[in-house]
Amino acid sequence: MRRFGLVLLATTALSGCHMPGQPQPGPEVPRPEAVMSFAQLYGENCSGCHGADGRNGSAMELANPLYLAIIDDADLRNIITNGEKGTLMPGFGNAVGGNLTDEQVNALVSGMRAKWAKPNVLSGVTAPAWKASQPGDATRGAAVYAQACARCHGNTPQKPGPAGSILDGSFLALVNDQTIRTIVIAGRDDIGQPDWRNVMPGRALTDAEITDLSAWLIAQTPPHPGHPYPLAPHTR
Amino acid sequence: MSWYRRTYDWLERRLQLEGPIKDAVLHPVPKSTASWWYVFGSASAVLLVLQVVTGILLALVYSPSASHAWNILQVLNHQVPLGWFLRAMHGWGSNFMVAVVVIHMAQVFLFGAYKFPRELTWIIGVFLLLLTLGMAFTGQVLRFDQDAYWGLAIGASILGRVPWIGGQLVQLMLGGPIINGATLTRFFALHVFILPGTLLVLTGLHVWMVVKLGINEWPMPGRLVRRETYIQEYNELAHKDGLPFFPGAAWKDAYFAAAILLAVAICAAIFGPYGPTGTPDPTIINTVPRPDPPFLWIYTVLSYLPPEMETPFLLIVPPIVIAVLLGLPFVAGVGEKSWWRRPVAVFTVMFLAVCWASFTHLATSTPWSPKMNAWSGSPIPTAFLEHRTPLERQGANVFQEKQCRNCHSIGGSGGERGPALDDVATRLTEDQLIRQVLLGGGNMPAYGSTLSPPETTALVRFLNTLHPNYQPAASDASRAVAEQGGGPPASTVEPGNGQHKTQ
Repeated sequence: MRRFGLVLLATTALSGCHMPGQPQPGPEVPRPEAVMSFAQLYGENCSGCHGADGRNGSAMELANPLYLAIIDDADLRNIITNGEKGTLMPGFGNAVGGNLTDEQVNALVSGMRAKWAKPNVLSGVTAPAWKASQPGDATRGAAVYAQACARCHGNTPQKPGPAGSILDGSFLALVNDQTIRTIVIAGRDDIGQPDWRNVMPGRALTDAEITDLSAWLIAQTPPHPGHPYPLAPHTR
Repeated sequence: MSWYRRTYDWLERRLQLEGPIKDAVLHPVPKSTASWWYVFGSASAVLLVLQVVTGILLALVYSPSASHAWNILQVLNHQVPLGWFLRAMHGWGSNFMVAVVVIHMAQVFLFGAYKFPRELTWIIGVFLLLLTLGMAFTGQVLRFDQDAYWGLAIGASILGRVPWIGGQLVQLMLGGPIINGATLTRFFALHVFILPGTLLVLTGLHVWMVVKLGINEWPMPGRLVRRETYIQEYNELAHKDGLPFFPGAAWKDAYFAAAILLAVAICAAIFGPYGPTGTPDPTIINTVPRPDPPFLWIYTVLSYLPPEMETPFLLIVPPIVIAVLLGLPFVAGVGEKSWWRRPVAVFTVMFLAVCWASFTHLATSTPWSPKMNAWSGSPIPTAFLEHRTPLERQGANVFQEKQCRNCHSIGGSGGERGPALDDVATRLTEDQLIRQVLLGGGNMPAYGSTLSPPETTALVRFLNTLHPNYQPAASDASRAVAEQGGGPPASTVEPGNGQHKTQ
């Protein structure tokens, strides 16, 4: 009888307390399209380039409240789903061969907002729109570059400033005007790139200036970028 | 006379089992066999009983249907009280059984117990090992998750390579040309009826022969086995310097079996049941299927074989191994039993153990396989991106986006198929990096047609920053000479901040 009691005790103990081996609720490996947790989706799909916490990655800082304030959900969804043409951002949506469903893209967008957006970051300031409303004037853009950017990025690709050149042909070939516009407006506080209010000494850049600057920079892309050695005269 | 005594006598008068059982239990064995080294055989049998009992309990709930099997395991894991523990006991019991059977075999081999007159006991033992492995494999299939699905696919493609009858064999194994509902039914029949039935009958024979032929005496150097004299010598040893099997030797078996059962239960409680991993849907491609522990070493061996060696290896080596095991008692059936005088036997076991351990260890990290989600899921360590130029950062983007990371690790994460690139700049100059990226070489494919010139430039600029602060990046000495000799300048770009090469 006592032995029976012991077995009963052991069984109740086993079923009552949570053993480390007891499976967590839900399947151990859910179907890929059933994953809805922002941490997992972001960690598996975005963190490679955008950094573990949306910061300090090689690509745009996503944990940037300014960036999240100027871009709307539709644009974010579109970039995640279809990628950004002319840049290294690939599309992750099912339609373009990626792994993410529309619901998962939505989960990413709302997760980014919930985790990194700050509601009051633009209170009292009018930031330039995320997207340019008119084509830029490259000639005027050159002057903006000289005033706002040259200090850190240098006047020519051959003489880069302390922050490295952005006139380098290969760099320009790997970004588009939206990349430049986004980073000029939102900055990257993780690597010390100021936002649109602080690049120019004394005043903020205007929307038109940013548009012109982007147009001028993209126009500096050489016809055959990325050749590691200068072409010999007879091959030009 | 009490009522149970009367019942016992009534049964015994008809069954007459008392005599044979007493004989078997009390038969004298050499004193030297009452050793902790002799407990693995009985432990295997106890584990077999555990597997039968837990297996029957699982079969009460399980349904061998391709559309239900996976869901039923979820029910067992989450809804049936202690269902997860039952699954875990059966799964860990399987691991322990394979391990104990293999240890038992190694011990029998090292103790020369396969020699005359126990050749047939050994041969049946070889079949018991194969059946145990067969049970492990078919059991993994019944889990019917992604591991099971792809395990089956590999099993079928191995069978399909058999000349002439490969197609029919695959048909026989899968119950059709592809993995389907009939496959699971077939493996259920194998795992629940055919294999365990054979296993139990052969185990009975195996134990019968152990009882009839006696437990192998402790081998002594110089005490040779001769067909003419061995039986007489053994009987003398057992009767003059022996003790009855029960309780003389059996208590160690009982303690060890109890310890093994406890170990299975502890593993089950701590590590839990195996899977099921994802649903067995072949359209889910982002999965890393992996065989169960007893087969991890095969996974490694097959992964490392060059493609042209696969078929010969798969078709020739297993029959040779089985033939060697079966032929062993006929080739070395008499003579020295002691391991002190059988160095080849000892080194064979040590060699196989080291191979097995290394292959199994490799299979847990699969360094041969690209990590398919490293490019999007493994961030580049911040230290590698500090004080980098915009172009170098774009290069890091290229590195990730073109999935270099899937084969090359940096900062300890990423694939291990290619070399780690944490300090690649100390090994290759800029020109060599460009050449390697564009043309490939070694084990690396050429990326010249996948990368645009700006992408290549950015990538190589990034790679060129990958060197420790105390060690300069490798540089081409001839460049400096050419520069001084009035040749064309090496590069028109001055390095940005943090990009300085120490010459």
